[in-house]
Amino acid sequence: MTGFAALALLAGVLVSLSRQINGRLALSTSAMESSFWNHIVGLVFITVVALLVGGLFAGEPAAAPWWAYFGGPIGVIFVAAGSWLIARIGAAQTALLIIAGQMVSGVAIDIIMGAPGNLWARSFGVVLILAGMWVVRGERRG
Amino acid sequence: MSLRTETIHPLYFASAFGTGSLLSFMVLFNGTLAAYGSLFFASWVPHLTGTLTAMLFLLVLRPKRARAIRPSFWVYLGGVSGAVTVMLTATTLNSGLALSGTIALGLAGQMMFSLFADMRGLFGLPQRIPVWRDYLSLLLIITGSLILIFWGSGS
Repeated sequence: MTGFAALALLAGVLVSLSRQINGRLALSTSAMESSFWNHIVGLVFITVVALLVGGLFAGEPAAAPWWAYFGGPIGVIFVAAGSWLIARIGAAQTALLIIAGQMVSGVAIDIIMGAPGNLWARSFGVVLILAGMWVVRGERRG
Repeated sequence: MSLRTETIHPLYFASAFGTGSLLSFMVLFNGTLAAYGSLFFASWVPHLTGTLTAMLFLLVLRPKRARAIRPSFWVYLGGVSGAVTVMLTATTLNSGLALSGTIALGLAGQMMFSLFADMRGLFGLPQRIPVWRDYLSLLLIITGSLILIFWGSGS
């Protein structure tokens, strides 16, 4: 269990690491070019690992709804935006505001799709996140 | 040392929040793929379609290179880190941590390493020392997120 917890923590560290490296690449090239390299290098890496491990086309992938295939184009914008932001507002604020956006929109999507949920917990969570965003807005720096 | 007020530009603020919303859709789309195919497939497809989309964007927009000199090799390896993330979370999702534990610990790891990187100015990115407002907003946003993760859905 502790081992799995360490892996989950490491996954978070790698999300941040990836954004920093892509952000550094964007400083030399452009945000879109960094997103391109992120995707093609990741594609080669996953292809190699999947060929070694096997089972890439297991299951019924052809049965998936057509819209499920659109994660890629969205990811391109996501990585480009992250690379662009990190050099401007820093790694921590980029991560915090992205998390805030993900959480609040996640609640909205859940409600729209009729996913069961606790109204009070949802409201309280969203209010805390919005308060955190309000706090970080007007920053004082030395 | 004089204190000056530095507010995050509304454009950055809105883009970061909007970028987070994109992530919700990615999770929904890629998660749906994973429900039909393998976890490899659910990561392989968006990387493939993403590569093609980014090529199209580059061909149409032709963004200028910020610097003429090519950066070092390691700067191109961000994608490996992202791909390993998918494999790690695939492992922890099927452990006792489940989805909520995986997301919660992922947020913790992400914030710790982001703060560390900012303080050090890691990888040649601008150095930023967090101030008390950063920690307060961190506390509020992470607490709110944990409430949503553990108590927001289900029941």
